Order: sequence, then C-alpha cells, then structure tokens
Amino acid sequence: MPDEGWPADHELLRRHVAGDAEAFGELFRRHRDRLWAVALRTLCDPDEAADALQDAMVSAFRRAGDFRGESAVTTWLHRIVVNASLDRLRRRAARPALPTGDEQAFEALVAQDGDPARASDTRMDVDAALRLLPPQQRAALVLVDMLGFSVADAAAILDTSPGTVKSRCARARARLLPHLAHLQGNRSASESVSPAQGGET
Amino acid sequence: MTHLDTDVLAEFRAGLITGRRGARITAHLAGCDRCTALDDRLAGVSVLLASVPAPAMPDSVTQRLDAALTAEVARRDSPERARGDGAGESPTPRRPRENRGFRLLALRVLAPAAAVVVLAAGGYGLSRINFGSSTSSTASTAGGAATAGGAATAASSAKSATRHANAPAAAPAGITPGNIVVVTSNRNLSRADLAQQVRAALLVPPAPGSTETARAQLRGCVLGLIGDHPPQRVESVRFEGRPATLVVARTGQGDTAWIAAPDCSATNLHVLDKTSLPSGISGP
Repeated sequence: MPDEGWPADHELLRRHVAGDAEAFGELFRRHRDRLWAVALRTLCDPDEAADALQDAMVSAFRRAGDFRGESAVTTWLHRIVVNASLDRLRRRAARPALPTGDEQAFEALVAQDGDPARASDTRMDVDAALRLLPPQQRAALVLVDMLGFSVADAAAILDTSPGTVKSRCARARARLLPHLAHLQGNRSASESVSPAQGGET
Repeated sequence: MTHLDTDVLAEFRAGLITGRRGARITAHLAGCDRCTALDDRLAGVSVLLASVPAPAMPDSVTQRLDAALTAEVARRDSPERARGDGAGESPTPRRPRENRGFRLLALRVLAPAAAVVVLAAGGYGLSRINFGSSTSSTASTAGGAATAGGAATAASSAKSATRHANAPAAAPAGITPGNIVVVTSNRNLSRADLAQQVRAALLVPPAPGSTETARAQLRGCVLGLIGDHPPQRVESVRFEGRPATLVVARTGQGDTAWIAAPDCSATNLHVLDKTSLPSGISGP
C-alpha cells in the first residue's frame, strides 16, 4: 500500500479519471521537469517545446481514461510528450528552414564564446550538436543518454523495438562525436574522426 | 583488419554486433591503440550527455501550463460541455468546486535552485562518472577523473574542471522523481550493522550547501530502485571505503536502504548492499 503523502502514479491517474480535480496536476507536477527536458531537447526550441508540452498535457488529461496500464504511467506520459514533439517537428519539416543538419549554424553557435570551462557553454554546445541529429535519433538519444531511461523503456516510449533504439542511439553518438570532442579538451579527436564518415544506412 | 569505423564501433558498443564479427572487433580493439582511443571517446559522448543537467522548466511555461490545466478542469467540471458548442478552450466563469488553482508554481521549491552545475571532469577516457566524490570540492572530482581516465585525462581535467555555480539551497525534503537531490557527505558505511548506520545517518539533517541535483545516470538508478515509493534520502557516501550512493525510500511499513555502486543506472541497477529498516525511523 503506497504512502498516503505519495500515492503511486497509477493511483493519481485513477483518481483523476474518477473526477478528482487535483490528481492530474499532482501527477504532472511530479514528472514535469523530465517531460520538459524531453520536449525541449527533442524540439531544440523553448517556444515549440512549451507548445508541445501543453498539447501533450491537455491530451493526457482528456485521454487518461484510455490508459490501460500496459506500461508505467511515466512511460505513457513520456510517450504522449515525445509524440507531440515529433508531430511538431514533422509539421515544421513540411515548411522550409529545417533546423536539423545545419552545420554552419552549429559552428556559429559554438564560436560565440571561447571559454570552455563554463558549464553553460557545455550545455549550449550539446544543444547545438543535438540539432544536427535527425529527430528520431535525437529523441532516442535524449531518453537513453541524457535522461537515463533503459533501452526497453525508451523503446516503449518511442513505440519501437529495443534494437531500433540501440541503433538510433549508436548512430547518434557516432554523429555527435566530432562535434563534442572539443568539450573534453582532446585535440586529436576532431582530427582523427571525419564528420562525414559513416552513412545513414 | 583495417581500423574500425566510428559507426561500426558505436553499433558494437550498443550490443548490435555480436558473433564472429563481434569477436573480430574485440580482437582488433585488444591490439589497436588508435581504435581503443576512438572507443574511449565514443564512451565519452554518453558520459558527457549524462553530465548535462536537465533544464528546469521556466516560470513562464509553468504559468502557461497552470492556466491550461485550470481551464481543462473547469471544462470537465462544467455541465455546459455536454452541449458540445466547441467552447472547450475558454473556461466558464463558474469556478469548479474546490478548485483553488493548480499550482505547479507553488511547488517551485521542489525544483533545483538553478543550483549546482557540474561538468563531468576529465576526458573521453573517463568511462564512468564518479558520483562518490567525498566532498563537493573541485579537487575530489578531478581526482576521480584522473584515477579513472589516466594521464591524458588528468591534464584536461584541470581545465574543464568541475564548477559549482552557486551554493545549492535545495533541501533533501524536496526530492521528487523529476528532481533527485543528493546529499554529499563523508560518511563511511560498512556492511556490518548497516541498518543501524543508516538509521543514524537519517537522524542528521544535511549540512547547508551539501546538496546537489543528481545527474541523469544516478537519477535513473534511484528511480529504478525506489519505483513508486517515496524517497527519503539520497546521499553520496563511502561504503566499505569505496564511493557509493545511499538510497532510502519508504517502502510500506518501514524503509528500505540500498547501497548503489558508482556505475548504477536505470539500465544497470548495480546494488552493493540492501537492508530494510523498521517503521518510524526516517521520518514523522
């Protein structure tokens, strides 16, 4: 029996479906920073991330009755947020000016500040590098490497197989390597690895 | 065998290449410094990504979501909605019963106080993050990196060393699944009478400035261990003289304490020891 002050996620969801006006807010609040991180890092844009998160929250609020408990509630919430984020990317891709794959924009971002010891720079460089990845690879890498989800959980969130998640993460890491090497002060890294190497098979 | 391609190595690391081909890669790595170095840097990508702190949700977004949530609750509670006039977006003036607003904002105290910004010290040779540094000083983390990463790493760690931007103000009581706060202590726990030692540890409130937000790997580890149970304490300690993390959660009648290894993660719940504490120990 879960603690009174800390009801399990599925219990909060059950209370929400039963009409409890506070339960959903409590549930969402519990996971909001991670959900925000997923949306922000998948979309690489705070405004778009806020839109996606709001869409996802409203969708989860309304569709809570559909939750059948095949997965953990957190998995379900993350899936809705990831889908809302990828939907936005797809819609954006239909328009020109695709934000991913722009190597020049990346170089410009990285060149803005030369002090490598500042943590905010690291975050900025990582954010810029993430933009280079195709959305599906980025979503997988964010879940596994940045948010610490297991491959199995990430697969459930992304509605794909664990093998696909591993493959997307592997390609993403290989792609990011030359762009993150400078953060580790390892000069030889960028020389020995060609950014163009390795195709998207 | 020619040198390994970055993509091939990345797939190998992810466990996607096995069998005879995997064996050939293993054999090549054993004898090739160049590919081993590449392999280390590839491992460093994940370490670096895990070290980037999760961004806290900006207040403007929190306010927006609060408003949207309040509108949703009002919409659900309103009898008007059954008419389906498409006015779902605008909440009715009637306030829903007991609705005092859904203050995601009010729980800002739970968010990390924009506090500790920790860079993973060291280079790509660093195969794991050292969570067990005994104090919050720069020196201990850089030292851990040097041990784990070797000489090349040590040189660079001086430059990209750990930085603490601000003294953290968050209390451990603010632990939520989205924000695991770690207390740093010099406590040395041992296997014998572990429950009693943990009990003593819980009686001592953490010193001011001794807390920081857990990074992704540790967060995954803690959430994996505690599941739905409310966490009581996450503390960076030493166990039998070696770095470890103490994790305590209320698991029903009493509490459970785990001693997690430094490499514990969501995918690898590496626990060195575990004990249960009878009820009434860790809190009111």
